[in-house]
This record gives sequence, C-alpha cells and structure tokens, in this order.
Amino acid sequence: MIYFDSAASTCPKKEVLDVFLSASQDEYANPSSSHAFGRSGGRLLESARKQTLDLFGVSATHQAIFLSGATEANNLALKGIAFSYQNRGKKILVSAVEHPSVLEPARYLAKAFGFEVVELPVDSYGRVSPETLQAHMDKDVILVSIMGVNNETGTINDLKALSQITHRYPKCFFHSDLTQAIGKVEIDFSCLDLFSFSGHKIHGLKGVGALIYKKNIRFVPVLHGGGQEFGYRSSTVALPLALSLSKALELSLASAKNNLAHVKSLRETLLQGLENEEIRVNSPLDEAGSPYVLSLSLLRHKASVIMEGLSEEGIYVSTSSACSASLEKPSYVLLSMGVDEDSAKNAIRVSFSEDNTLGEVRLFLSSFHRLLKEIHAR
Amino acid sequence: MKPDMLMIHYGELSTKGDNKKAFVTALLHNVRVALKPFGLESKGDRDHIYVYLGGADPTPVISRLKEVSGIQRISIVMKVEPKMELIQEATLSLLQEEAGAKSFKIDVKRVDKRFPLDSYGIACAVADYVLEHGDYEVDLHEPECKVKLTLRPEGCYISCHDELGLGGYPLGMIGKVTMLLSGGIDSPVAAFSLIRRGIRVECLHFASPPYTSAAVIDKLKDILAALNVYQNDIKLQVLPFTKLQDAIYANVPEPYCITIMRRMMIRLAVAMAKKNRALAVATGESIGQVASQTLESMGVIEEVADSFPILRPLCVEDKLSIIEKSKRIGTYDISIRPYEDCCTIFKPRRPKTKPKLEECLEYEKRFDYQRLIDECLEGVTTICFSGGQEVLSEGENHAELPQ
Repeated sequence: MIYFDSAASTCPKKEVLDVFLSASQDEYANPSSSHAFGRSGGRLLESARKQTLDLFGVSATHQAIFLSGATEANNLALKGIAFSYQNRGKKILVSAVEHPSVLEPARYLAKAFGFEVVELPVDSYGRVSPETLQAHMDKDVILVSIMGVNNETGTINDLKALSQITHRYPKCFFHSDLTQAIGKVEIDFSCLDLFSFSGHKIHGLKGVGALIYKKNIRFVPVLHGGGQEFGYRSSTVALPLALSLSKALELSLASAKNNLAHVKSLRETLLQGLENEEIRVNSPLDEAGSPYVLSLSLLRHKASVIMEGLSEEGIYVSTSSACSASLEKPSYVLLSMGVDEDSAKNAIRVSFSEDNTLGEVRLFLSSFHRLLKEIHAR
Repeated sequence: MKPDMLMIHYGELSTKGDNKKAFVTALLHNVRVALKPFGLESKGDRDHIYVYLGGADPTPVISRLKEVSGIQRISIVMKVEPKMELIQEATLSLLQEEAGAKSFKIDVKRVDKRFPLDSYGIACAVADYVLEHGDYEVDLHEPECKVKLTLRPEGCYISCHDELGLGGYPLGMIGKVTMLLSGGIDSPVAAFSLIRRGIRVECLHFASPPYTSAAVIDKLKDILAALNVYQNDIKLQVLPFTKLQDAIYANVPEPYCITIMRRMMIRLAVAMAKKNRALAVATGESIGQVASQTLESMGVIEEVADSFPILRPLCVEDKLSIIEKSKRIGTYDISIRPYEDCCTIFKPRRPKTKPKLEECLEYEKRFDYQRLIDECLEGVTTICFSGGQEVLSEGENHAELPQ
C-alpha cells in the first residue's frame, strides 16, 4: 500500500496509541468527579492542557479547550464569537477557500442570524493578500478567519501580516484554522487570537481536537450542559483523547523541521517525474506552498478514473478533498484561484506524511504514467 | 379468543388447469422457506394455504408473507366448531381485534349444506348477537369490517381482516432470466417486477474499472440484499468490461459508441444466459428514456440477440412511477449513491438516437470484438446472497479458495 492521502487522515503513532490505551484503562473516572480517582484524572487533563499551550509557546496569554475535532473547534470559534460579540458589530470575514467547517458556519450565521459575511477573494496561489483584507476591514468586523494552510492545495497564508491588519481594529479577533499547518509550516502562534487543529491530521487520533484562544475571549457555547471546559464545551472530557492529542502535538512539533526537508525531497522527486505529463500543477511550488500537499489537474483524463485506477493498485490519493470526493463538482477552492472549470473538476490531491519514502514516490510515478497512457481520455 | 391461522389466497393461480398442483406446491415451498424463522406449521390444499399461528402475533408473519410472490390475499382466520354459539362469540372477538371499526357486514358461504340454517339465517343470527353484545352497527354498502363466514364440514372459518399480497406467481415455476443490473434506479425495479411475476432472476453486471468505481460493487451488494427479501437466493455475476469498452471507444465514432456498447452487452448477456440455462435476458430499459432506449435503438441493439428473448419489464413505465416503486422496495436510496457505472462514464456529446444497423455492422468490423467478448466471459466472478447475507458462491470463486 502507498498512502498519499495524509491531508485526509494519518496513521496514529504508537506512542500516541499507548498514551490513549493506558489512560483509557487506568484513568477511567470522570475527570470532573470530586473523589480522588476523579481528581487524578482532572490533574492529568490540566497537565495535557498546559503541555499543549506550552508547546505552542502561548501559556501566558492563551487557553485551550479540548473538543471533538477541528470542525467543532471552527464552529465554536465562529458561532461562539459571533453570538458573544454581536453588539460590537455583525460583520465576519472569511477567505473564500476555507474548509467547509468554517465556510458553512459563516454562511449559517449570515442566513439565520443576519450577520454580514464576506468571503474574501484569493490570488492565483489561493492566498488572501494583506491588501484584500485591508480593503474589507471596517469597524463592524468582529472576526476574521483565514486558514494557515489550505487542505486542497497546501497554499500558505501570511498569518502574521494578516493578523497585524486585523489588530489595527481593537474590536476584531483573528482566527485561523491550522488543521493542515501544525507541524508542517512555521507559525508564530502568539499573533493569533484563536486557532483550531485536529488530532488525526498529525498522527493522532480521530475524535479529538482543540481550540486555543486568548484568555480575554468569551464565547457563547455551542454545546450546553454540565459546564465542562470553562463552560464553553459541555460534555464529559475525553481524557485519554486529550492526553493523546498533546502527545501527538509534542511529537509533531519536535520533528517538524526534519520532516519538512524530507517531504520537500518527496515533492521534488514527484514533480521531476511529472515534467512531461499533461497536467497542471495547482499548488504553489515556492515558499507560498506547503510541500505536504500537491494539487494536480489532469488535462486529458478524468481525475476520478485515475484515482480509481491507482486505488486498484493499492495507491491512495484523493480527488480534490475527501469531503467532496465522488461528487462531480468542480473544486470551489481551485475555481476561486482562477483555475478553469475542467481543471477544477479533474484535480488529484497527493498529500504526504513524513512516513512516505522516495521509493513510494517512484512506484507512484510508474503507475501514474502507465495509467495516463492506458486509460481513455475524457 | 385469538385468531388461530392465516389463510393465503391464490391469485391468478385459480385460472390454471392441470398445472395448478405444481404451482401450489411451489408456493407452499416458498411460504415455508419465508416463514422458517417463525417456526410455524403450514398446510396447503387446492384453494388455500393455511398457516397455523399457535398463539403467535400475526402482524410480522403477514408482513413477511406480503413479500412472497404468488399470494393474492392473506386473511386472519379463526376456526371454530360449526355450532352457532361458538360462531357468534368468535365473530365478536375478531371484530374487537379490529381497532376503531364500528360498522360491519357478514358474508356467509355455506359449503356444508347439512348446517340447519341457510346463509341468510346464519348471517342474521350472528349479526343479532354482535349488535346485542357490542357497540356496532350494520352497514351493507361500506362496512368498515367485512366478516366472512365459511362453513365447511370440518369447521367454520371466520375472518374479518385481510391484506393484499404481492400477487403474481410463485417463484421458481416460470424458469429464470438473466437480468442486467447497473446499480441505477431502474434495473432493481425491473428485477423486482420479474420476481413478483414468479420469474427467478440471476443478475449480470458489467464492471469497467477504473472507469467505474469499486464502490459500485458494494452498492450492488446492497441492492442484492434488498432483492433477496423477494427471492431467497440471488446471485450476481460481474463481467470485466474495461478492455471491450476501451476497444469500442478506440474504434467506433463517438455517436455510435453507446449503441455498439449496448450490442456488446447483449451479446455477453445472451452468452451468459445460455451458459446458465436462463430462458431470456432482461433489462431495465424504458422506451424513450435515453438515446439507447428509443425503439430504433432497441431494434438495432436487439438484433445481436438472434431471436433469444429480451424482456423489458419497465418498457412503458414512467420514470416517476419507477422511482416510486424503487422507494417501496427499498432500493432507491441505494441506487442514488453517487458512483458512476459504465453507462454514465463516457457520455457522448451527441449520441445517435436512430442508429442504423448497417453502420453498426461496419464499425464492428473494425476490431476483433469476439476475442474480447471471450475474454470477458472468462473473467466472470460471482457474488451470491442468501437470506439477506452474502454467502460463498458455487462455481467460479471456489477456484480462488485455498485448498
């Protein structure tokens, strides 16, 4: 098997599973219970929280909530801020190429609650330029949400510049979905008011993620109930998952630099091998693109057919993103970047993890070349 | 008192002459297979099959029987000794089982002429008792409950509730056909229509990986499981169609690709039907629905069958009624899952709606399709379902099992 779909999900690391397993067996008391067994879990939870914030270098200024994943984190960030601060203004800016877990809550706020939501246009790389953001900022904007790395193309946004513009407006918060960025690109976390990430994209487990936010921020919760996680996320905290998340984060950040060099070489080899094929590279290849994600449009073939052909040989890639796979729709991300409709319908996403090897890239290339030759064009 | 049996009425069977016994035997067998999980006794005679409830709740039993072809109606029946007071009591208690019914009518059939009262007399006597002991009224024109009393020498059968069955003929009496199953909305409905009529189906699917997704096979398995309710054993044979399809697109002008593809499919289907001793090939085509389903196209496509019968159970059905049926048999939600089959993958921009046979023959001369057809036939794999579960298939797949 060759797994080139790490932007969709990754293989959990053994250390992460060990943490999860032993906490599940040994610390099954409710971490909110006030007896000694529960308090011991509660202490572990707080240590996981502290470790997470320390790893990001923001323990002095930020707080962390454990929840089910990036989708929930993004929902809480958008709805929680919108409802909490709507008397400051009712305008929200998001980039047009956000993941649906940002775009859809924003659209919901617009449709059901009368917020003014602007989907900021992106350049041909898929970035929101500081000028574009500046042009849309005004005193009514309460939240700007722009992702760190795009899930379909690997495009990196200049979060520092974008957050600086936002912070000229003291009533406005800057949120970033860092699901595809953590452990992959360098980020100054301290410039972000809020950010979201998910465990299973960094060799952690599915079902856990976190929202990190500046301590002065108050949310209106999405889930109401027992008041766990500072009242912002009711539900018994999944202690083993929270511990597994901080472990995955630790491993991911520690190896980020080495991994980046390795994955860059994977992408390099892949691109060299593709030089003579009839494809269009959608991802930025310079410093504006993460080497972990490469989006390619097939100029003559149907992407779904090539994906299926690769799948038959045990090579797994995605057509655009896993969430929209198998629908015959062009990728809205690529369309926003000005890619033509045919190419936007026929994009393949190759996404790496540090576990992939150059040998795998070569095997992929030989299958890919053969399929493009053998398979009837569209 | 509780109802003690279900009475199954045959539909068109009653028009059968000398064959009737064989049809009844087949239906009795199918009923026994369907009711096996309930562990109920049953018995058949010339006119009815009786299922003895032995205290069991009739509702789930009736639901299951409504999935067995060849059954016209199912009545809930109480059998009592032919004594007036017993008949009266039983009738009242049956009426009380019918929640909400206020008006009734009594029909009497006096097969045993030795019974002292005549039909009208019996009806009056029973009705008087019901009116006296219960809160009911008589309505001869639109009764909410129609009580049927049948007096036979062995006892009096009383029923006041019956439900329509599937109709059609018992499965297995009319032979089997090879059904082309695409995974779309129509073909499962066509398969169901055949099964309902008593025709056993064996399904055939043309797979064109990687043009079609392997997920289509999972979808087809779910469709088989749904059809399995109506036909207890059902199998699907999958033919590898990729090479033949590639050759068609390499050699045939685009507007004729679909026509030639359908001709190849029919060739393969007829060959498979003959091999499996099926008596016909069936498709889910409906006249006019798409380019290959015009009468002109059908004629040109059917030519390759060389007078082997091709059945099109849905040929004059409207799409909306097909959709409605597919929802009823539970295949609609499976069929609309978004995976491509080999008909949708290469939609020619301008398919020929009135193809000419001579042109087809001309294009088919351009490549050695017979060799590719033989290759397809050699690559068949088989999937079998029985009792709602996938089971190991006989034949082809066994070769791959470790010894």
